[in-house]
Formats: sequence, structure tokens, C-alpha cells
Amino acid sequence: MQSRSLSEQISPVDAFELNLLRGGSRLIADLTEFFRDYKVDDTTFAIYAKGNTRNKGLFLSRFFAWTVLPNYPVSLFCINEGKTLLSTESLRKRIETVTKVTDEDELQWAWLVVLSDRALSPQIVSFVSRYDRKELGLAAASTSSKQIVLSNNQVGRSIGKQLKLRKALEPNKHWRN
Amino acid sequence: MPFVLLSALLINTLLVNNHVTGGSLKILLLGGAFPLGFLAGRLIYVKRSHVEILFDDISFSVIKGSRETETGSWRSFRLVSLVLDQFGKPNLRLYRAVEGEYVDLPISKTNADPQRFRDHVQSLISGVRIRKTTPQVVEAA
Repeated sequence: MQSRSLSEQISPVDAFELNLLRGGSRLIADLTEFFRDYKVDDTTFAIYAKGNTRNKGLFLSRFFAWTVLPNYPVSLFCINEGKTLLSTESLRKRIETVTKVTDEDELQWAWLVVLSDRALSPQIVSFVSRYDRKELGLAAASTSSKQIVLSNNQVGRSIGKQLKLRKALEPNKHWRN
Repeated sequence: MPFVLLSALLINTLLVNNHVTGGSLKILLLGGAFPLGFLAGRLIYVKRSHVEILFDDISFSVIKGSRETETGSWRSFRLVSLVLDQFGKPNLRLYRAVEGEYVDLPISKTNADPQRFRDHVQSLISGVRIRKTTPQVVEAA
């Protein structure tokens, strides 16, 4: 159960979660609780992270956050489709499940990251890049072709900038303790 | 470090009382403050703050210092998560029911890999972890 050796490779999902555990999202949201293989109805989320928009930090940043930043509850959902073909229909179903959870938990907004071992189809690229509902940031990424598509909204664009999804897809990424 | 300083002050007081005010003997005796201070600090840490998590495939127990703070069986939990504390250190949270009562295991105070430990615990805990969402209301035309 001790730290992994340097030569040991980790999966993109593990690498993505590790980056979030190390505070990769802190400029936008302070994700504090991480679940794996979280089942909601018939959807299994590889990562389900909960948090809020007010980050902690030390004295000055904590004071700044407390006085200036709103404290909205937010979440991150990550699905690993593996070798299953990612169709627009299945993606719509995932979005519907996430929307239900965000409505039930009264979340202000959420991230949904879908990882696939296959190349992304043009339909998926078109669907994700045209998605513009401001409450849900959407990203689809292929672990084989390393292609990443982000939704056309502010929350979606932040997946690429802040969450460093591309770094998690790097094949030769080694575990560092 | 405070214990080293305290030991040095104590040794110095003893030396002054015994009229040892200079020379290499005083430096030698004051040098003893380092091992003495480290030993005292280590003893207090082991007695009060050292955290040990003992576990097998059936149960676990958390020992903090010289007392057992938490004990339980993996099978009595339904859900496991990693929770970041106020310093950003990951600890394990075990839920008895989905969004219900929970127990925190301070794994950040051990040398366990948090993700691996969580995955191992997840394979040990029992129960159905499916969260059901309530169907959305649709108005008929």
C-alpha cells in the first residue's frame, strides 16, 4: 500500500485524480471529496468529486476568498468509457444523469469529463464543441489519439486550462511521490 | 527543537549550580542537550501523536499515541472516499450509508499511498453503492 515506484505507470483516470488531489482545480473550485466508481442509477462515474468555489489557502488568500468569492457547491464527474464506442446518444444520457445530480444537490455548476480509449468521432467532436449550457462544462478526451474537445462555455474551457487534462493523458507519465 | 533548547537550559542550570562555568567540559555537557532533546521529543510524539492504522481483510483499528481511537469492520461500511483536510492532505472517509454517518481514517499521517489504499478498501467494503436519482416531473400537455 506504499507509494508506487517510479517505473510504475498509472492510468489516465488515476493521473487526473492525482492532479486534482494535489489541488489542480483550486483556482476555480476547491474540490475536497473524491469518490471512485460512484454509481448513479445505471451510470458509473470513475471519479466523482465534490467541493465548492471558495478555496482555503493561508491567511491572506483565505480572507480574500471569504470576503470576495461566492461559496457555491460544485462537482466534477469523470467517466471512463474504455473501449466502448462513445456515441452522442450515450453522451446525452450521461449529461442527463449529471444534470439530475446537479439539480438534486443544488449545485451551481459541474464538470463532466468523458475519457475514451477510442478516437473521438466527428459527431462527438461537433456535439461537445457546440455544447453551451453554462451550468455544465463538458470535455471528451481520447486516451489513444490524445484529442481533447471542450464545450463552448466558460466552465468547459477551464477543464483544459486549469484541470490539466492533457497532462493526465500523457503515456509516459510516471508516479512521483 | 524546543526540547533541545529546554535540555540545554536545564543542563546549563545544573552546571551553574555545580560551579562549572567554562572550559571544554561545559561545551561537552551542553552538547548532550541534542540527543536528550531529540529523545524527549520522540518519546512525547510516540506517546501522544504517532498514528498507526492496523488492518486486515476483515477489520481495522486506528491507534493514536498509546490509545485506540477507532475500530471497525470493513463490511459495516458502504462507501469510501478521499477527503482533503484543511492542509490539503488526503484522508480516508468511510460511510455507513450513502451520505450518512461516517468515520475518518487519518491515512495522511501514515506512509500509505492514498489512492491505492482507497482502492484496496473499496474492494473490501460491502453493499450496494448505487445512488438513485428521483425522476424528473414532466407536465402533460
